[in-house]
Amino acid sequence: MKRRSYGRDAGLSLRMLLTTSLLGLLYVVFAVVLFQVLNVGLIPMLVIVVGLAFFQYYTSDKLALRASGAKIVERDEAPELHDMIERLCAMADLPKPRVAIIDTDMPNAFATGRSPKHAAVAVTRGLWQRLEPQEIEGVLAHELSHVANRDVLVMTIASFFATLAGLLTRFGLYSGMFGGGRSRDNNSVPVWLIVLLVSVVTYFLSQILILAISRYREFAADRGSALITGAPEHLMSALQKISSDMFRIPQRDLREVEGMNAFFIIPANVKGSISSLFMTHPPLEKRLAALAEIAREMGRPVQ
Amino acid sequence: MGLRDVLFGKKKLAGPAQERLFALTTAAVTLDTELGLRTAGSAGICFKPLSAGDFVRAENDLQQLLDGIAADSGSKLERREDKFGYTWIVVRDAQLEDQVATIHAVAQGLEEQGFGPQLLAAVFKFEGGKHPVYWIYGYKRGAFWPFVPTGQDQERDNAEELELKAKLEPELPVEQDLSRWFGVFDSPL
Repeated sequence: MKRRSYGRDAGLSLRMLLTTSLLGLLYVVFAVVLFQVLNVGLIPMLVIVVGLAFFQYYTSDKLALRASGAKIVERDEAPELHDMIERLCAMADLPKPRVAIIDTDMPNAFATGRSPKHAAVAVTRGLWQRLEPQEIEGVLAHELSHVANRDVLVMTIASFFATLAGLLTRFGLYSGMFGGGRSRDNNSVPVWLIVLLVSVVTYFLSQILILAISRYREFAADRGSALITGAPEHLMSALQKISSDMFRIPQRDLREVEGMNAFFIIPANVKGSISSLFMTHPPLEKRLAALAEIAREMGRPVQ
Repeated sequence: MGLRDVLFGKKKLAGPAQERLFALTTAAVTLDTELGLRTAGSAGICFKPLSAGDFVRAENDLQQLLDGIAADSGSKLERREDKFGYTWIVVRDAQLEDQVATIHAVAQGLEEQGFGPQLLAAVFKFEGGKHPVYWIYGYKRGAFWPFVPTGQDQERDNAEELELKAKLEPELPVEQDLSRWFGVFDSPL
């Protein structure tokens, strides 16, 4: 497939390159320390690690859809949504992704899938009902830009060693608690403790770097949305609406919700997953400022 | 829920939080002077009736309870069923204080009869604005939240609701988690 990039921002690209290489450096240090101290065979370790990464990569779309409770909808179930996505895909020169709806009042959307051919775009019922059509287009174009930029691939690679470090942290803890007899015959620091410390530090540093990369990808997707729709002001107003208090108030009836949730024991919404989606995003003001800048470049009116 | 209950999977329904209901009577002054909202003369309490076994006994007790409260308070009480399968006791009384007292008496009576965990919400209706304003008291949460339906489908005037929250917060326990502000559309009030 022909590669496309939506818009150019030299500073952004430079920062992305810098963080990514820092992340790479971190992993090399991590691996060297691990092999020196732990003496794990190189081959079994690589097999496990690469296997995990492939599993994550190939199941990413199914995992994300399952975790968010999104349901794939066919054309006859949501014709207008399908139309809108088809138009935007034609503009962006992308194959049409699968379309899913999440049955939540809170307006939100996400894209997933390892490649444009295996992509899926999910929107919440709240987004579809509460935003104006042009604002919805802005949000969908943002998600399609994630697909075009292959952000799932980028983030899978980026989070791959963080996941590994997380696993080893746990592994180190257990072996220290239950099987720590090996190092009792000398006075040196137990091996599992070193592994644990290295893993913890690696994990936290890589999380910070991953969040940084993720925020840069968001800016890039905002820019992509502006170029696909040609009207960044609609994405701006959509972002403002989505983050306002007003849109947290549900539209549903208390009695209906009670029936589904057996008396409030389970919270009536997926707040956790929504806020975690937002955590990896840059602050609203910065996104709006960046979009306003793009709008000026494009000669669009900005309020 | 204690650790043991978690381990053994014994979920219990939360008992009702009744006491904070009375805060509405103090808040009534602010509602009137600052927002021009007065009671519409009706309030209601909504609960899920028991099924099958205990039903007949509970039914008789409930009727006795309602007759007793109606005689004591002078409020007019009506019973309604709604399409969600909830039972409503609608209280008609010109004074908000009396509505609150009667609703409280009904809630206490229901709790004594073992309906406590089934209590869902009490709803108070106010007029004087563009749309009727409802204050919903969630028994599970022990807090109030405003509900202003515009009358079109399931639309609500969110701006008005947030203004009500801002104005009443100092005197009324208002639910802070906005995602729990569920509406009660087509209530029998």
